[in-house]
Amino acid sequence: MTQQTMEIKAPVRQYIQEHFFGAAPPVPLNDAMPLITGGLIDSIGMIGLVAFIEERFKIEFKPKEVNTQSLDTVEKIEGLIRSKLEQRS
Amino acid sequence: MPEREKPKREKPEREKKDALLHHWLTATADALPNHPALIEDERVTTFADLLCQARSLACLFQQNGIQKGDRIALVMPKTTEAIVSLFSSLFAGAICVPIHPQWPKDRVEATLSDSGAKLVIDGDLPPPRITDLRTRTEIPWPQGRRPSTFANTEFPAIFPAMEARDPALMLFTSGSTGRPKGVVLSHRAIGAFASWSADQFEITSKDRIACPAPLSFDLSTLDIFNMALRGATCMIVPESIAWMPRFLVQWLSTSGATCWYSVPSLLGGMLHQGKLEERHCRNLRLILFAGEVFPGPHLARLRATVPHALLANLYGPTETNVVTYYEVPQDFDGAAPPPIGRACPYADVRVDPATGELLAGGESLMTGYWNRPDDTRRAFCELDGKTFYRTGDVVSVAPDGDYIFAGRLDRQVKRRGFRIELGEIEAAFSRSDDILDAAAVSFDDSARGTMIAAFLHLRPGCEMPIADAKAHCARLLPLYMVPDRIMFLEAIPKGSRGKTDYAALKKLAEDAK
Repeated sequence: MTQQTMEIKAPVRQYIQEHFFGAAPPVPLNDAMPLITGGLIDSIGMIGLVAFIEERFKIEFKPKEVNTQSLDTVEKIEGLIRSKLEQRS
Repeated sequence: MPEREKPKREKPEREKKDALLHHWLTATADALPNHPALIEDERVTTFADLLCQARSLACLFQQNGIQKGDRIALVMPKTTEAIVSLFSSLFAGAICVPIHPQWPKDRVEATLSDSGAKLVIDGDLPPPRITDLRTRTEIPWPQGRRPSTFANTEFPAIFPAMEARDPALMLFTSGSTGRPKGVVLSHRAIGAFASWSADQFEITSKDRIACPAPLSFDLSTLDIFNMALRGATCMIVPESIAWMPRFLVQWLSTSGATCWYSVPSLLGGMLHQGKLEERHCRNLRLILFAGEVFPGPHLARLRATVPHALLANLYGPTETNVVTYYEVPQDFDGAAPPPIGRACPYADVRVDPATGELLAGGESLMTGYWNRPDDTRRAFCELDGKTFYRTGDVVSVAPDGDYIFAGRLDRQVKRRGFRIELGEIEAAFSRSDDILDAAAVSFDDSARGTMIAAFLHLRPGCEMPIADAKAHCARLLPLYMVPDRIMFLEAIPKGSRGKTDYAALKKLAEDAK
């Protein structure tokens, strides 16, 4: 795993763990686990997740760039953030 | 209850009581053939084009054996083709059954079979796919038919004769025993609301109406049928942005929409995360909302953000569509949620003196639940020889005569405008072999609104990670019904007569926050 991958995935995982599992017993968060279609994050949660990502990585998504499918797993989220960061640099 | 005064005007022929919804479209296409009926991104469909496409598809339905009263299901987002399909179903005399495309596959299949649909139309991208469910064969979507290929007079004679009491739509809503119920609505019932809203809010062909609700939601009767009736333009909100308040606000400010109709949660998101205040929506003259309680402070903020727009709270379950309304005054202070207001002129609204339950009758009343005579009987009551729907909503009456929503008689909850029977969530859990008993309650969270907690009693020796319990739910229920919190108990608390003690569970859920 590259340094950059770690830097993207770790804070995303941490945010999801804190905001969507709360006081519940720790759930092993698998990078391929469907977050939205698996019922773990609802639409209000998604809005918060996108706001977190935009602020943390200093990026801003445009309407056609993100949707509920493109954010469904930690892996997909990482890919999306990476491509935004590459566009910027 | 007195109705609000409104100057009377003579209605044109097509707006008379017994008119059919698709005849509205025919009349408007005659009057305004080149006016835009639908705008979806860059794509504009004129009234002549919409009428032509709808009739030509209706002919195709007939060639494939569709007869009066048959059901045609639409499992697709609100797109140009979906609206064409809806009117085609009406021309062919069929009942259109829109089903939310994001429902889990099992639930869609169960609903298709419950409705007995002969055809299903689905697909996110044009052209949609038409499947004959009797033979499981595909019927190609009619491509490239332009208005010039059909004279407008070519069709009407061959379409079945219809009456205003004939069913037009069937909308499925959560059922407490675990199976969604199909609410059957006639041309007259839908027309009563649509033509009243057109008068009340003075909707004309200059209006551009944006309603992000899916077709399976009764809110969509406003934009679709005011388009057909008054020649207003339907501004189709792309499904890909509907979840994101910031995108919605950007879209709204560039779309030139004059009217907006959604659930309060979406407007709340547009205010709080979408920065609605910073955008100019000068054309927006009317904002309607329905489906759930609008928190007072949020509505006061909306009132201040768009001082030039008329704001109205519309109230009514799917079974009756809108039956009361309240126009939000300029000095609305937000100390309490808005009242649900007074009866619409086509509605007969009463309060059961024993329980405070709102009873709603009149022209917009549903025909009944599809194939569920017992549920229909239980939902209706007779008063003075007239039929009323028992809404299950408890109301009080303000000194000025406005009705105020005060809660529910049963375990139905509203979450982001979606109607949820907690019993349906319990029924979904009971389908797992590892779960012996399940109970669901709702509770309020100051930041996130209505939340749902589920309590599970697992079979001895079983373990179930929360993620698995949620995934089980997500396979059977729409995502808006998946509980926010899941807790495991050694036993579900029961009262002395063996009934689940929901009050105790609600307290547990609230304390666990």
